[in-house]
Amino acid sequence: MNSQSVLIVEDDKWLAEQYARVLNLAGYKTNISLHALAAIQAIDDNRPDVIILDVLLSGSTAITLLNELQSYSDTSKIPIILCTNLASEISIDDMEPYGVRKILNKATMMPDDLTSAVKSVLL
Amino acid sequence: MSATRGEHEQYFDGPLFSGLPSLIVAAHELKSPLALVRQLSLMLEDGNVSADDQKKMLRQISLTSERALRLTSDLTKSVRLPDALFTLEPINPQQLCEDIIRELKPLFVANNRQVKLTSRRRSLLLVANRDLLRRIIMNFSDNALNYAEGDDCIEIKIGTHNSGKIIRLGVRDYGPALPSDLFKSLKNKLVNVSSTPIHARPQSSGLGLYIVSQFADAMNGKIGVTRHRDGATFYVDLQASKQLNLL
Repeated sequence: MNSQSVLIVEDDKWLAEQYARVLNLAGYKTNISLHALAAIQAIDDNRPDVIILDVLLSGSTAITLLNELQSYSDTSKIPIILCTNLASEISIDDMEPYGVRKILNKATMMPDDLTSAVKSVLL
Repeated sequence: MSATRGEHEQYFDGPLFSGLPSLIVAAHELKSPLALVRQLSLMLEDGNVSADDQKKMLRQISLTSERALRLTSDLTKSVRLPDALFTLEPINPQQLCEDIIRELKPLFVANNRQVKLTSRRRSLLLVANRDLLRRIIMNFSDNALNYAEGDDCIEIKIGTHNSGKIIRLGVRDYGPALPSDLFKSLKNKLVNVSSTPIHARPQSSGLGLYIVSQFADAMNGKIGVTRHRDGATFYVDLQASKQLNLL
């Protein structure tokens, strides 16, 4: 079992569970937060090695969470993978200052793409 | 069901706006369930899942598809609303809500959630179109299911207002507090999607509320929301029937 942990921030519970299923099979520990506020609490409780983040969240948005994470030296270094339906509208260059290392398109990604992305940002 | 201290109540006055909802918003709304169905199907194709997981995933695929189909059906209905003929009739809200709970039960069970109905023993009849009202409550329930947290039950409430002249059907969820400017932003999002910032949330409640506000308006009703510290109650207010309730 890989000791590295991934926090999945996704407001669609079943999709979050699916991401967790894929990552658990690859040996990662996973936690799920359904919105940004719960994610901040989860990060405080147990600092993840990687965060998978949906852009369109209920309540506070992903950008709020990204700003929050960038405000603290310990959380600003956590690599972020955006997993979104808006991938075609977001540029990685624009998001890099927020700690985003990869952007996956929910509509076209394969389940294994998630594992590959996590592996690559942990290298 | 009137607002108490610490709660905030807000009405929509008629439909949120005139005109058709943006195709982009509708496409976004449908993208999410389709993306989920696709991910689950690809995983099942791969075959690397337990029998229990397989069963769960197949159930999720069918329920997610049904949800997406409900949305497309509501969308079609709302677009055709101005030309449609439909009847307003006295309806027993309790009976209607019980039917909806029965219909949505598999979805609630699959989400490990419970739904309950709170009402007077004998509800007053209201004047509505059965199909449109059913769609409104289904939409609120679906929405509550998405936003509710923890193990709290989702409540469908029937109450009266204005000395019994108005019947209010509400769906109470216990989730994150609703941002105060949500409705204003929903209007902007739907009217001018091209300027929607990426951190906004055009799917889910945006299109759903747009559609049900049209349904409510077609029945001379209003939809609104009461924000609580721990969630929200989305409701529709409709005229009480003057016909004697003989049920």
